Amino acid sequence: MKFDLTILAPHVPFLLKGALLTAEACALALVGSLIIGLLVAALRTSSSPILSRAAFIYVDLFRNIPFIVQLFFFFYGLPEIGIYIDAFTTGVIALSIAGGAFSSDVIRSGILAIDTGILEAAEVSGLSKPVIFRKIVMPIALRTSVRPLGSVFINLVLTSSILSTITLNELTGSAKIVASDTFRPFEVYAVLLIVYASLTYLISLAIGSLHRRLNRDRMPDVA
Amino acid sequence: MLTLLGKVCDMISARGVHKSFGSATVLDGIDLDVSVGEVVSILGSSGSGKSTLIRCMNGLERLDGGRITIDDFDVSNPKQLAEARKRSATVFQLFNLYPHMTAVENITLAPIQVLKIPRAQAEAEARALLDSVGLGARSDAYPAQLSGGQRQRVGICRALAMKPRYLLLDEITSALDPEMTAEVLNILAQLARTGTTMVFVTHEVEFARTISSRIVFLDKGRLVVDLPTNDFFASGGGMANPRIAQFLAKMRKD
Amino acid sequence: MMRYTSFTSYDFILLAQGLGVSLALFAVTTLIGLLIGTTWAIVRFYRVPVLTPLITFFAELLKNSPVLVQLFLVFFGLPALAKINVTPVEAAVITLSGNTAAFIYVIAVSAIESIGRDQIESARVFGLTRWQVLRHVVAPQAMAFAVGPLTGLLVNQLQVTSLISVIGVVDLTKIGNILNLRTLKPFIVWTIVGGLYYVTAKLIALGGARLEKRLRAHTAWKGL
Repeated sequence: MKFDLTILAPHVPFLLKGALLTAEACALALVGSLIIGLLVAALRTSSSPILSRAAFIYVDLFRNIPFIVQLFFFFYGLPEIGIYIDAFTTGVIALSIAGGAFSSDVIRSGILAIDTGILEAAEVSGLSKPVIFRKIVMPIALRTSVRPLGSVFINLVLTSSILSTITLNELTGSAKIVASDTFRPFEVYAVLLIVYASLTYLISLAIGSLHRRLNRDRMPDVA
Repeated sequence: MLTLLGKVCDMISARGVHKSFGSATVLDGIDLDVSVGEVVSILGSSGSGKSTLIRCMNGLERLDGGRITIDDFDVSNPKQLAEARKRSATVFQLFNLYPHMTAVENITLAPIQVLKIPRAQAEAEARALLDSVGLGARSDAYPAQLSGGQRQRVGICRALAMKPRYLLLDEITSALDPEMTAEVLNILAQLARTGTTMVFVTHEVEFARTISSRIVFLDKGRLVVDLPTNDFFASGGGMANPRIAQFLAKMRKD
Repeated sequence: MMRYTSFTSYDFILLAQGLGVSLALFAVTTLIGLLIGTTWAIVRFYRVPVLTPLITFFAELLKNSPVLVQLFLVFFGLPALAKINVTPVEAAVITLSGNTAAFIYVIAVSAIESIGRDQIESARVFGLTRWQVLRHVVAPQAMAFAVGPLTGLLVNQLQVTSLISVIGVVDLTKIGNILNLRTLKPFIVWTIVGGLYYVTAKLIALGGARLEKRLRAHTAWKGL
């Protein structure tokens, strides 16, 4: 059989719809995992041994169990306890929880890297702990963590392909349909591979420029 | 706060303050009062405990013994500490500015959050303060874009913006070169003239002499002398103490 | 026949079998991946023209695309393109080995780069061949450097093996699927399956930490 990409042309709109679903799921999961990551990082760096222990157990579990197992746990398990949500929502929740575990590790090291003198200055000026976390700890930790958080996000995008196993027709799911419709799996999956790789490359470029933008004030200006 | 005897509480008062790190005793029974309107310099060689004393006053270190009150609010009492901290403000050796905020944002954060001053007013006050230390043009610069001396001037403005009754200064020129040190000390001289109460931990003996009303000398965690400035430098006063004479001689040589 | 049944003692054997398949494939593909990945790194060390940029590009492609898509390409795509038969296990071995190789390559390259160029150059000045430098100067140091990242990679690659269940390999996750459908007790099934993966991952991490300690102790002792 010849390698022929033209047979894919009529299926491009369908694949784009899948790509859009992937983008939506990843965007929502990015927000979800950042929120969870911040919360869990706050708990892990808190002075309460119980909270920090609980946060550690969460991170340890979700980092060491395959995502597909986590996904099946939620997808098949939630209806068991009377929670009926669609595959998309389940996927976003599972991605957020797994991504949250990885993000929290990154954010935690960002927090631990903050100069204690800065926190002391905030403390003696009478700022409350929540304000210190929101106004000082969080922005500093997030800014220094842009690059490693970017890697977590790229992994999130790659992992989102697994959502196709719970009947969600995101990019990989749609490609599966096109592959079986056209009987040209090699072309379809080869293109898909390139698409994902280009997508993650573009994301890494965007992360690089975001990092430079957010850390502008670290560079001395000429004025 | 009023007591039966009237207002007796306008002061920072340390009584029998003990502090140790592990087996090392850093403060060994310090008694010190600083009343409103005074400028008290704390001298002593490194390791004498002078920075630790400041860190006990603003509640960054827990006391192992004794008691420190600011206007009668006990810094060892978590509920009173907040009130004590509202009355004092600290300037740090390494500036400790918030790196992600501009000079103005650094200065206005606590006034807005703690004192609940409206943002516009807080910003206007911050800009006025920056103007007064010659940094009006750099109001919107980030700490990384400022020189060490400029950063410390912002640090002083940040402390002053809280309108503290007591300004605690912890070796604020130790990380600066002589030129920048001069920039910062000029501002302190200004503040001293306007009657700002200061507790000034420093190595700058000559400068301490020009602005202080009293000088305290710490050695190995003990308060050796506590004298009016003139008496401290008089040959029969502080200079009579060999440790102080030795310390001053060494400082003048450097 | 009943529509679903509860757990039987036979299920333990099923789970053990699934875990065995996962571990076997993990072990085999790790070895092949190590071999290919280090070979690629050596090619790069020798700065072989054409091949070096090609390998770098290929490794980047594998690292930056979903393993599931790679798996589909090999399992569905390869037979269609080349008219050959590829079994699920073969597809799993090919894909996981390639994927592991890409990551090993990156680790090996940074391990080699962690050794100062001056060290390599001074060894060359003493008349050692490039191969001798690699064997006696680079390899021992690079190995000690690489154990940490390698452990992290292996913990991750164990989890990646779970994806081969999607193309029909009866690994631990596939057994989970089978038990899930039969018992309709998803929480119990996936908790057990997840627990087995967790314990295995922890054992790998523990082994890696021990090895690292030993390697470091060894080099420290030799340095005295």
